[in-house]
Amino acid sequence: MMSSRTFSLLAPVTLGIIILGIWEGVCRFWHIPPYLMPSPSAIWRALMLDGVALLHALLITLEITFAALIAAVVGGVLVAFLLVQSPLIERCLMPYVVIMQVTPIVAIAPLIIILIHNTPLALTACAALVAIFPVISNTLQGLRSVDPDLAAYFQMHKASRLQTLTRLRIPSALPMFMAGLRIATGLSLVGAIVAEFVAGTGGNSAGLAYQILQSGFQMDIPRMFAALFLITVAGLVLYTAAASLQRFALRHRS
Amino acid sequence: MNTSVLSLAGIEKVFPNGVRGLSPVDLTVEKGDFVTLIGPSGCGKSTLLKLIANLHTPSGGKMNWWGGNFGDVGRKGRRMAFVFQDATLMPWATIAKNVRLPLDLEKVDRATADKRALAALERVGLGHVTEHYPAQLSGGMKMRVSIARALVTEPDLLLMDEPFGALDEFTRNRLDEEMARLCYEDGLTTLFVTHALHEAAFLSSRVMVMAARPGRIHAQYEIDRSILRNEEFRLSDQFAGISRELAILLEDASRESMIQQEVRA
Repeated sequence: MMSSRTFSLLAPVTLGIIILGIWEGVCRFWHIPPYLMPSPSAIWRALMLDGVALLHALLITLEITFAALIAAVVGGVLVAFLLVQSPLIERCLMPYVVIMQVTPIVAIAPLIIILIHNTPLALTACAALVAIFPVISNTLQGLRSVDPDLAAYFQMHKASRLQTLTRLRIPSALPMFMAGLRIATGLSLVGAIVAEFVAGTGGNSAGLAYQILQSGFQMDIPRMFAALFLITVAGLVLYTAAASLQRFALRHRS
Repeated sequence: MNTSVLSLAGIEKVFPNGVRGLSPVDLTVEKGDFVTLIGPSGCGKSTLLKLIANLHTPSGGKMNWWGGNFGDVGRKGRRMAFVFQDATLMPWATIAKNVRLPLDLEKVDRATADKRALAALERVGLGHVTEHYPAQLSGGMKMRVSIARALVTEPDLLLMDEPFGALDEFTRNRLDEEMARLCYEDGLTTLFVTHALHEAAFLSSRVMVMAARPGRIHAQYEIDRSILRNEEFRLSDQFAGISRELAILLEDASRESMIQQEVRA
Protein backbone atom coordinates (compact mmCIF):
# COMPACT_ATOMS: atom_id res chain seq x y z
CA MET A 1 0.00 0.00 0.00
CA MET A 2 1.58 3.31 -1.02
CA SER A 3 1.23 6.38 1.15
CA SER A 4 -1.45 8.90 0.24
CA ARG A 5 1.27 11.46 -0.40
CA THR A 6 2.98 9.31 -3.03
CA PHE A 7 -0.40 8.55 -4.54
CA SER A 8 -1.43 12.20 -4.76
CA LEU A 9 1.79 12.85 -6.65
CA LEU A 10 1.77 9.73 -8.80
CA ALA A 11 -1.85 9.95 -9.97
CA PRO A 12 -1.67 13.34 -11.74
CA VAL A 13 1.78 12.55 -13.18
CA THR A 14 0.45 9.31 -14.67
CA LEU A 15 -2.51 11.16 -16.16
CA GLY A 16 -0.13 13.75 -17.63
CA ILE A 17 2.01 11.07 -19.26
CA ILE A 18 -1.08 9.39 -20.76
CA ILE A 19 -2.33 12.70 -22.19
CA LEU A 20 1.12 13.54 -23.61
CA GLY A 21 1.22 10.08 -25.19
CA ILE A 22 -2.17 10.49 -26.85
CA TRP A 23 -1.24 14.02 -27.98
CA GLU A 24 2.01 12.76 -29.54
CA GLY A 25 0.19 9.85 -31.18
CA VAL A 26 -2.56 12.00 -32.65
CA CYS A 27 -0.04 14.51 -34.08
CA ARG A 28 2.02 11.75 -35.67
CA PHE A 29 -0.81 9.60 -36.93
CA TRP A 30 -2.71 12.38 -38.71
CA HIS A 31 0.45 14.28 -39.65
CA ILE A 32 -0.82 17.48 -38.04
CA PRO A 33 1.47 20.34 -39.10
CA PRO A 34 3.44 21.90 -36.19
CA TYR A 35 2.10 25.42 -36.92
CA LEU A 36 -1.39 24.14 -36.09
CA MET A 37 -0.61 21.90 -33.17
CA PRO A 38 2.96 20.86 -32.44
CA SER A 39 3.58 17.46 -30.90
CA PRO A 40 5.15 17.29 -27.40
CA SER A 41 8.39 16.06 -28.96
CA ALA A 42 8.51 19.09 -31.28
CA ILE A 43 7.94 21.37 -28.31
CA TRP A 44 10.74 19.62 -26.44
CA ARG A 45 13.08 20.09 -29.46
CA ALA A 46 12.20 23.81 -29.56
CA LEU A 47 12.92 24.07 -25.87
CA MET A 48 16.32 22.40 -26.30
CA LEU A 49 17.16 24.52 -29.35
CA ASP A 50 16.20 27.85 -27.83
CA GLY A 51 16.62 26.92 -24.18
CA VAL A 52 19.26 29.50 -23.31
CA ALA A 53 17.32 32.43 -24.75
CA LEU A 54 14.07 31.24 -23.21
CA LEU A 55 15.63 30.66 -19.80
CA HIS A 56 17.16 34.12 -19.95
CA ALA A 57 13.70 35.52 -20.70
CA LEU A 58 12.24 33.47 -17.85
CA LEU A 59 14.82 34.92 -15.48
CA ILE A 60 13.81 38.45 -16.47
CA THR A 61 10.15 37.66 -15.92
CA LEU A 62 10.93 36.09 -12.55
CA GLU A 63 12.92 39.14 -11.49
CA ILE A 64 9.88 41.30 -12.12
CA THR A 65 7.67 38.73 -10.39
CA PHE A 66 9.76 38.76 -7.22
CA ALA A 67 10.18 42.53 -7.16
CA ALA A 68 6.41 42.88 -7.58
CA LEU A 69 5.72 40.30 -4.86
CA ILE A 70 7.99 42.09 -2.39
CA ALA A 71 6.41 45.44 -3.26
CA ALA A 72 2.91 43.98 -2.92
CA VAL A 73 3.64 42.36 0.44
CA VAL A 74 5.35 45.41 1.94
CA GLY A 75 2.81 47.83 0.49
CA GLY A 76 -0.17 45.59 1.24
CA VAL A 77 0.79 45.03 4.86
CA LEU A 78 1.41 48.76 5.37
CA VAL A 79 -1.97 49.64 3.86
CA ALA A 80 -3.69 46.98 5.99
CA PHE A 81 -2.08 48.36 9.16
CA LEU A 82 -3.15 51.85 8.14
CA LEU A 83 -6.73 50.75 7.45
CA VAL A 84 -7.06 48.94 10.77
CA GLN A 85 -6.02 52.04 12.77
CA SER A 86 -9.38 53.77 12.63
CA PRO A 87 -12.81 53.24 11.06
CA LEU A 88 -12.55 56.72 9.53
CA ILE A 89 -9.35 55.87 7.63
CA GLU A 90 -10.90 52.63 6.46
CA ARG A 91 -14.08 54.32 5.28
CA CYS A 92 -12.04 56.89 3.36
CA LEU A 93 -9.56 54.50 1.76
CA MET A 94 -11.37 51.22 1.28
CA PRO A 95 -13.43 52.29 -1.77
CA TYR A 96 -10.20 53.19 -3.58
CA VAL A 97 -8.63 49.88 -2.69
CA VAL A 98 -11.67 48.17 -4.20
CA ILE A 99 -11.59 50.41 -7.30
CA MET A 100 -7.96 49.44 -7.76
CA GLN A 101 -8.92 45.81 -7.53
CA VAL A 102 -11.86 45.88 -9.96
CA THR A 103 -10.05 47.84 -12.69
CA PRO A 104 -8.50 45.28 -15.06
CA ILE A 105 -4.72 45.57 -15.11
CA VAL A 106 -4.68 45.33 -18.92
CA ALA A 107 -6.63 48.59 -19.00
CA ILE A 108 -4.31 50.55 -16.69
CA ALA A 109 -1.03 48.99 -17.81
CA PRO A 110 -0.55 51.25 -20.90
CA LEU A 111 -1.02 54.31 -18.69
CA ILE A 112 1.53 53.08 -16.15
CA ILE A 113 3.99 52.24 -18.91
CA ILE A 114 3.65 55.78 -20.29
CA LEU A 115 3.94 57.36 -16.83
CA ILE A 116 6.95 55.35 -15.70
CA HIS A 117 9.78 55.55 -18.21
CA ASN A 118 11.92 52.82 -16.70
CA THR A 119 10.34 49.73 -18.27
CA PRO A 120 11.25 47.10 -15.64
CA LEU A 121 9.97 49.48 -12.97
CA ALA A 122 6.72 50.02 -14.86
CA LEU A 123 6.26 46.27 -15.29
CA THR A 124 6.93 45.73 -11.59
CA ALA A 125 4.38 48.39 -10.71
CA CYS A 126 1.73 46.69 -12.88
CA ALA A 127 2.40 43.27 -11.41
CA ALA A 128 2.45 44.64 -7.86
CA LEU A 129 -0.89 46.31 -8.46
CA VAL A 130 -2.37 42.94 -9.40
CA ALA A 131 -0.88 41.15 -6.40
CA ILE A 132 -1.48 43.74 -3.68
CA PHE A 133 -5.21 43.27 -3.18
CA PRO A 134 -5.21 39.80 -1.59
CA VAL A 135 -2.39 40.93 0.70
CA ILE A 136 -4.38 43.96 1.84
CA SER A 137 -7.72 42.22 2.29
CA ASN A 138 -6.29 39.10 3.94
CA THR A 139 -3.99 40.99 6.30
CA LEU A 140 -6.84 43.31 7.21
CA GLN A 141 -9.15 40.42 7.94
CA GLY A 142 -6.33 38.69 9.81
CA LEU A 143 -5.68 41.71 12.01
CA ARG A 144 -9.37 41.68 12.86
CA SER A 145 -9.67 37.95 13.47
CA VAL A 146 -8.37 38.20 17.01
CA ASP A 147 -10.10 35.86 19.47
CA PRO A 148 -12.32 38.31 21.41
CA ASP A 149 -11.74 36.45 24.68
CA LEU A 150 -7.98 36.61 24.19
CA ALA A 151 -8.30 40.33 23.43
CA ALA A 152 -10.31 40.73 26.64
CA TYR A 153 -7.57 38.86 28.49
CA PHE A 154 -4.94 41.31 27.21
CA GLN A 155 -7.18 44.21 28.20
CA MET A 156 -7.72 42.78 31.66
CA HIS A 157 -4.00 42.47 32.18
CA LYS A 158 -3.55 46.07 31.12
CA ALA A 159 -1.39 45.23 28.11
CA SER A 160 0.02 48.21 26.22
CA ARG A 161 -0.92 48.95 22.61
CA LEU A 162 2.49 47.69 21.46
CA GLN A 163 2.20 44.47 23.49
CA THR A 164 -1.26 43.83 22.08
CA LEU A 165 0.05 44.42 18.56
CA THR A 166 3.15 42.24 18.72
CA ARG A 167 1.89 39.51 21.03
CA LEU A 168 -1.70 39.25 19.85
CA ARG A 169 -2.68 41.01 16.65
CA ILE A 170 0.27 40.11 14.44
CA PRO A 171 0.38 36.40 15.40
CA SER A 172 -3.42 36.23 15.05
CA ALA A 173 -3.17 37.74 11.56
CA LEU A 174 -0.50 35.31 10.38
CA PRO A 175 -2.75 32.52 9.01
CA MET A 176 -4.81 34.94 6.93
CA PHE A 177 -1.68 36.79 5.82
CA MET A 178 -0.02 33.54 4.68
CA ALA A 179 -3.09 32.65 2.63
CA GLY A 180 -2.93 36.11 1.06
CA LEU A 181 0.76 35.68 0.34
CA ARG A 182 0.10 32.40 -1.48
CA ILE A 183 -2.49 34.03 -3.72
CA ALA A 184 -0.25 37.07 -4.26
CA THR A 185 2.65 34.85 -5.37
CA GLY A 186 0.62 33.42 -8.24
CA LEU A 187 -0.83 36.81 -9.11
CA SER A 188 2.63 38.43 -9.27
CA LEU A 189 3.61 36.05 -12.04
CA VAL A 190 0.32 36.60 -13.87
CA GLY A 191 0.73 40.37 -13.45
CA ALA A 192 4.31 40.32 -14.72
CA ILE A 193 3.36 38.35 -17.85
CA VAL A 194 0.31 40.51 -18.58
CA ALA A 195 2.34 43.69 -18.15
CA GLU A 196 5.02 42.36 -20.49
CA PHE A 197 2.38 41.58 -23.07
CA VAL A 198 1.04 45.11 -22.92
CA ALA A 199 4.49 46.69 -22.91
CA GLY A 200 5.71 44.43 -25.70
CA THR A 201 9.26 45.14 -24.64
CA GLY A 202 11.87 43.76 -27.01
CA GLY A 203 15.64 43.72 -26.92
CA ASN A 204 17.83 42.41 -24.19
CA SER A 205 15.37 42.92 -21.35
CA ALA A 206 12.59 40.90 -22.98
CA GLY A 207 10.67 38.57 -20.72
CA LEU A 208 8.83 35.38 -21.56
CA ALA A 209 5.65 37.14 -22.68
CA TYR A 210 7.61 38.90 -25.40
CA GLN A 211 9.08 35.56 -26.49
CA ILE A 212 5.53 34.23 -26.86
CA LEU A 213 4.44 37.27 -28.85
CA GLN A 214 7.48 37.07 -31.11
CA SER A 215 7.07 33.34 -31.68
CA GLY A 216 3.45 34.03 -32.63
CA PHE A 217 4.47 36.60 -35.21
CA GLN A 218 6.95 34.12 -36.67
CA MET A 219 4.42 31.28 -36.60
CA ASP A 220 6.96 29.36 -34.47
CA ILE A 221 4.25 27.54 -32.55
CA PRO A 222 6.51 24.90 -30.90
CA ARG A 223 8.61 27.71 -29.41
CA MET A 224 5.42 29.38 -28.18
CA PHE A 225 4.49 26.18 -26.40
CA ALA A 226 8.01 25.88 -25.01
CA ALA A 227 7.76 29.37 -23.49
CA LEU A 228 4.32 28.53 -22.13
CA PHE A 229 5.74 25.36 -20.60
CA LEU A 230 8.42 27.36 -18.80
CA ILE A 231 5.83 29.80 -17.42
CA THR A 232 3.74 26.89 -16.15
CA VAL A 233 6.72 25.27 -14.45
CA ALA A 234 7.72 28.58 -12.88
CA GLY A 235 4.16 29.14 -11.65
CA LEU A 236 4.03 25.66 -10.19
CA VAL A 237 7.35 26.07 -8.38
CA LEU A 238 6.28 29.46 -6.98
CA TYR A 239 2.95 28.07 -5.80
CA THR A 240 4.60 25.08 -4.12
CA ALA A 241 7.17 27.31 -2.45
CA ALA A 242 4.49 29.65 -1.11
CA ALA A 243 2.36 26.74 0.09
CA SER A 244 5.37 25.19 1.87
CA LEU A 245 6.17 28.51 3.51
CA GLN A 246 2.56 28.76 4.65
CA ARG A 247 2.64 25.24 6.08
CA PHE A 248 5.93 25.94 7.81
CA ALA A 249 4.76 29.20 9.37
CA LEU A 250 1.58 27.60 10.72
CA ARG A 251 3.02 24.19 11.59
CA HIS A 252 2.09 24.35 15.27
CA ARG A 253 -1.46 25.51 14.88
CA SER A 254 -3.43 22.53 13.70
CA MET B 1 -8.89 46.68 58.64
CA ASN B 2 -10.67 43.67 57.25
CA THR B 3 -11.98 44.62 53.82
CA SER B 4 -13.96 42.33 51.56
CA VAL B 5 -12.32 41.05 48.42
CA LEU B 6 -15.27 42.25 46.43
CA SER B 7 -18.31 44.31 47.30
CA LEU B 8 -21.09 45.20 44.89
CA ALA B 9 -23.90 47.55 45.89
CA GLY B 10 -26.81 48.09 43.53
CA ILE B 11 -24.79 47.12 40.46
CA GLU B 12 -26.98 47.08 37.35
CA LYS B 13 -26.48 46.80 33.64
CA VAL B 14 -28.69 48.11 30.88
CA PHE B 15 -27.37 47.23 27.43
CA PRO B 16 -27.19 49.87 24.69
CA ASN B 17 -30.24 48.27 23.02
CA GLY B 18 -32.30 49.00 26.13
CA VAL B 19 -32.37 45.42 27.40
CA ARG B 20 -32.00 45.24 31.16
CA GLY B 21 -29.28 42.64 31.62
CA LEU B 22 -28.98 42.96 35.33
CA SER B 23 -31.25 44.68 37.83
CA PRO B 24 -29.53 46.01 40.98
CA VAL B 25 -27.36 43.31 42.53
CA ASP B 26 -25.68 43.30 45.91
CA LEU B 27 -22.87 40.85 46.44
CA THR B 28 -19.97 40.55 48.85
CA VAL B 29 -17.11 38.09 48.51
CA GLU B 30 -14.82 37.52 51.48
CA LYS B 31 -11.31 36.11 51.47
CA GLY B 32 -11.35 32.34 51.07
CA ASP B 33 -14.93 32.20 49.72
CA PHE B 34 -15.90 29.98 46.84
CA VAL B 35 -18.94 31.76 45.48
CA THR B 36 -20.86 30.24 42.60
CA LEU B 37 -23.32 32.05 40.35
CA ILE B 38 -25.88 29.69 38.87
CA GLY B 39 -29.10 30.26 36.97
CA PRO B 40 -31.01 29.81 33.72
CA SER B 41 -29.53 31.33 30.57
CA GLY B 42 -30.14 35.05 30.33
CA CYS B 43 -29.94 35.53 34.10
CA GLY B 44 -26.88 37.73 33.69
CA LYS B 45 -24.39 35.52 35.52
CA SER B 46 -21.72 35.94 32.85
CA THR B 47 -22.53 39.66 32.57
CA LEU B 48 -22.02 40.02 36.31
CA LEU B 49 -18.66 38.25 36.11
CA LYS B 50 -17.56 40.48 33.21
CA LEU B 51 -18.59 43.58 35.16
CA ILE B 52 -16.41 42.40 38.02
CA ALA B 53 -13.53 41.79 35.58
CA ASN B 54 -14.08 45.35 34.29
CA LEU B 55 -14.77 44.03 30.79
CA HIS B 56 -18.16 45.78 30.93
CA THR B 57 -19.00 49.04 32.66
CA PRO B 58 -22.00 48.97 34.97
CA SER B 59 -24.93 51.30 34.24
CA GLY B 60 -25.31 52.06 37.91
CA GLY B 61 -24.26 51.07 41.42
CA LYS B 62 -21.01 50.93 43.29
CA MET B 63 -18.32 48.28 43.05
CA ASN B 64 -15.18 47.93 45.14
CA TRP B 65 -12.22 45.62 44.72
CA TRP B 66 -10.39 45.16 48.02
CA GLY B 67 -12.05 48.34 49.19
CA GLY B 68 -10.58 50.35 46.30
CA ASN B 69 -11.31 50.95 42.65
CA PHE B 70 -10.23 49.02 39.56
CA GLY B 71 -7.18 51.20 39.00
CA ASP B 72 -5.45 49.47 41.91
CA VAL B 73 -6.34 45.96 40.78
CA GLY B 74 -3.19 44.13 39.72
CA ARG B 75 -1.06 45.39 42.59
CA LYS B 76 0.29 43.00 45.16
CA GLY B 77 -2.52 41.59 47.27
CA ARG B 78 -5.10 42.73 44.71
CA ARG B 79 -4.41 40.43 41.80
CA MET B 80 -7.30 39.14 39.77
CA ALA B 81 -7.26 36.32 37.23
CA PHE B 82 -9.92 35.23 34.76
CA VAL B 83 -10.57 31.82 33.24
CA PHE B 84 -12.84 31.73 30.20
CA GLN B 85 -15.30 29.11 29.02
CA ASP B 86 -12.77 28.08 26.36
CA ALA B 87 -9.13 27.65 27.23
CA THR B 88 -8.39 30.80 25.17
CA LEU B 89 -4.73 29.95 24.60
CA MET B 90 -2.47 31.43 21.95
CA PRO B 91 -2.20 28.62 19.35
CA TRP B 92 1.13 29.97 18.06
CA ALA B 93 2.91 29.78 21.42
CA THR B 94 4.18 26.86 23.48
CA ILE B 95 2.41 25.91 26.68
CA ALA B 96 5.21 27.50 28.74
CA LYS B 97 4.87 30.76 26.81
CA ASN B 98 1.09 30.69 27.17
CA VAL B 99 1.33 30.32 30.93
CA ARG B 100 4.04 32.99 31.11
CA LEU B 101 1.89 35.53 29.23
CA PRO B 102 0.53 37.52 32.20
CA LEU B 103 4.06 37.75 33.63
CA ASP B 104 5.46 38.83 30.26
CA LEU B 105 2.81 41.54 30.04
CA GLU B 106 3.94 42.73 33.47
CA LYS B 107 7.55 42.60 32.24
CA VAL B 108 8.67 40.10 34.86
CA ASP B 109 12.19 38.96 33.94
CA ARG B 110 12.49 35.87 31.78
CA ALA B 111 14.16 33.49 34.25
CA THR B 112 11.71 34.24 37.06
CA ALA B 113 8.76 34.01 34.67
CA ASP B 114 9.92 30.63 33.36
CA LYS B 115 10.35 29.28 36.88
CA ARG B 116 6.92 30.47 37.98
CA ALA B 117 5.26 29.17 34.81
CA LEU B 118 6.74 25.73 35.38
CA ALA B 119 5.63 25.77 39.01
CA ALA B 120 2.08 26.74 37.97
CA LEU B 121 2.01 23.97 35.35
CA GLU B 122 3.21 21.45 37.92
CA ARG B 123 0.39 22.52 40.22
CA VAL B 124 -2.15 21.42 37.61
CA GLY B 125 -0.15 18.26 36.80
CA LEU B 126 1.22 19.45 33.44
CA GLY B 127 4.90 20.00 34.18
CA HIS B 128 5.82 17.65 31.34
CA VAL B 129 4.24 19.51 28.40
CA THR B 130 5.93 22.92 28.61
CA GLU B 131 7.31 22.74 25.06
CA HIS B 132 4.13 21.38 23.48
CA TYR B 133 1.69 23.50 21.52
CA PRO B 134 -2.01 23.86 22.41
CA ALA B 135 -3.08 21.90 19.32
CA GLN B 136 -1.29 18.83 20.70
CA LEU B 137 -3.31 18.82 23.94
CA SER B 138 -6.77 17.48 24.78
CA GLY B 139 -9.60 19.79 25.83
CA GLY B 140 -9.16 18.97 29.50
CA MET B 141 -5.41 19.57 29.36
CA LYS B 142 -5.92 22.90 27.60
CA MET B 143 -8.31 23.95 30.36
CA ARG B 144 -5.67 22.98 32.93
CA VAL B 145 -3.16 25.18 31.07
CA SER B 146 -5.68 28.00 31.22
CA ILE B 147 -5.97 27.51 34.98
CA ALA B 148 -2.17 27.45 35.27
CA ARG B 149 -2.05 30.75 33.40
CA ALA B 150 -4.42 32.16 36.02
CA LEU B 151 -2.47 30.67 38.95
CA VAL B 152 0.90 31.93 37.73
CA THR B 153 0.02 35.48 38.76
CA GLU B 154 -0.73 34.20 42.29
CA PRO B 155 -4.20 35.74 42.16
CA ASP B 156 -6.07 36.95 45.20
CA LEU B 157 -9.35 36.50 43.33
CA LEU B 158 -10.02 33.98 40.61
CA LEU B 159 -12.96 34.58 38.25
CA MET B 160 -14.15 31.59 36.21
CA ASP B 161 -16.82 31.79 33.52
CA GLU B 162 -18.31 28.31 32.97
CA PRO B 163 -14.78 26.98 32.61
CA PHE B 164 -15.57 23.29 32.30
CA GLY B 165 -18.80 23.54 30.31
CA ALA B 166 -17.32 22.04 27.16
CA LEU B 167 -15.67 19.06 28.86
CA ASP B 168 -16.94 15.54 29.38
CA GLU B 169 -18.33 14.61 32.78
CA PHE B 170 -15.32 12.59 33.87
CA THR B 171 -12.75 15.29 33.06
CA ARG B 172 -15.00 17.90 34.58
CA ASN B 173 -15.25 16.02 37.89
CA ARG B 174 -11.45 15.66 38.08
CA LEU B 175 -10.99 19.38 37.44
CA ASP B 176 -13.68 20.25 39.98
CA GLU B 177 -11.73 18.28 42.57
CA GLU B 178 -8.55 20.17 41.67
CA MET B 179 -10.41 23.48 41.98
CA ALA B 180 -11.74 22.48 45.38
CA ARG B 181 -8.20 21.71 46.51
CA LEU B 182 -6.93 25.09 45.29
CA CYS B 183 -9.67 26.95 47.10
CA TYR B 184 -10.14 25.03 50.33
CA GLU B 185 -6.54 23.96 50.93
CA ASP B 186 -4.58 26.84 49.36
CA GLY B 187 -7.13 29.51 50.27
CA LEU B 188 -7.76 30.84 46.77
CA THR B 189 -10.83 33.11 46.70
CA THR B 190 -12.97 32.13 43.72
CA LEU B 191 -16.04 33.42 41.94
CA PHE B 192 -17.36 30.72 39.65
CA VAL B 193 -20.10 30.85 37.02
CA THR B 194 -21.76 27.59 36.00
CA HIS B 195 -25.05 26.22 34.77
CA ALA B 196 -24.31 22.78 36.18
CA LEU B 197 -26.07 22.17 39.46
CA HIS B 198 -23.87 19.31 40.64
CA GLU B 199 -20.77 21.43 40.05
CA ALA B 200 -22.17 24.25 42.18
CA ALA B 201 -23.15 21.78 44.90
CA PHE B 202 -19.70 20.21 44.89
CA LEU B 203 -17.52 23.31 44.85
CA SER B 204 -19.22 26.20 46.55
CA SER B 205 -19.13 27.63 50.00
CA ARG B 206 -21.95 29.91 48.85
CA VAL B 207 -24.26 29.56 45.86
CA MET B 208 -26.05 32.59 44.40
CA VAL B 209 -29.09 31.37 42.49
CA MET B 210 -30.02 33.85 39.79
CA ALA B 211 -33.22 34.42 37.83
CA ALA B 212 -33.67 35.98 34.41
CA ARG B 213 -35.60 38.83 32.79
CA PRO B 214 -34.25 40.92 34.29
CA GLY B 215 -31.15 39.19 35.64
CA ARG B 216 -31.14 39.24 39.44
CA ILE B 217 -30.14 37.25 42.49
CA HIS B 218 -33.05 35.06 43.46
CA ALA B 219 -31.68 33.18 46.46
CA GLN B 220 -28.53 32.48 48.40
CA TYR B 221 -27.46 29.09 49.72
CA GLU B 222 -24.60 28.44 52.12
CA ILE B 223 -22.67 25.17 52.19
CA ASP B 224 -20.47 24.07 55.09
CA ARG B 225 -16.88 24.99 54.18
CA SER B 226 -15.38 22.27 56.38
CA ILE B 227 -16.68 19.48 54.14
CA LEU B 228 -13.85 17.67 52.41
CA ARG B 229 -14.64 18.06 48.69
CA ASN B 230 -13.56 14.72 47.28
CA GLU B 231 -14.89 11.67 45.46
CA GLU B 232 -16.47 10.41 48.68
CA PHE B 233 -18.42 13.64 49.17
CA ARG B 234 -19.75 13.38 45.61
CA LEU B 235 -21.30 10.00 46.45
CA SER B 236 -22.60 11.01 49.88
CA ASP B 237 -26.21 11.59 50.99
CA GLN B 238 -25.11 15.02 52.12
CA PHE B 239 -24.16 15.92 48.53
CA ALA B 240 -27.47 14.53 47.29
CA GLY B 241 -29.30 16.65 49.86
CA ILE B 242 -27.48 19.82 48.88
CA SER B 243 -28.12 19.08 45.21
CA ARG B 244 -31.83 18.56 45.86
CA GLU B 245 -32.19 21.81 47.80
CA LEU B 246 -30.31 23.69 45.10
CA ALA B 247 -32.47 22.06 42.43
CA ILE B 248 -35.60 23.34 44.19
CA LEU B 249 -34.19 26.90 44.33
CA LEU B 250 -33.12 26.72 40.71
CA GLU B 251 -36.50 25.38 39.62
CA ASP B 252 -38.10 28.26 41.48
CA ALA B 253 -35.80 30.77 39.83
CA SER B 254 -36.40 29.50 36.33
CA ARG B 255 -40.19 29.36 36.90
CA GLU B 256 -40.09 33.00 37.94
CA SER B 257 -38.02 33.83 34.89
CA MET B 258 -40.70 32.19 32.74
CA ILE B 259 -43.53 34.09 34.44
CA GLN B 260 -41.73 37.36 33.81
CA GLN B 261 -41.40 36.41 30.20
CA GLU B 262 -45.13 35.68 29.90
CA VAL B 263 -46.07 38.94 31.59
CA ARG B 264 -44.00 40.73 28.98
CA ALA B 265 -45.51 38.84 26.09
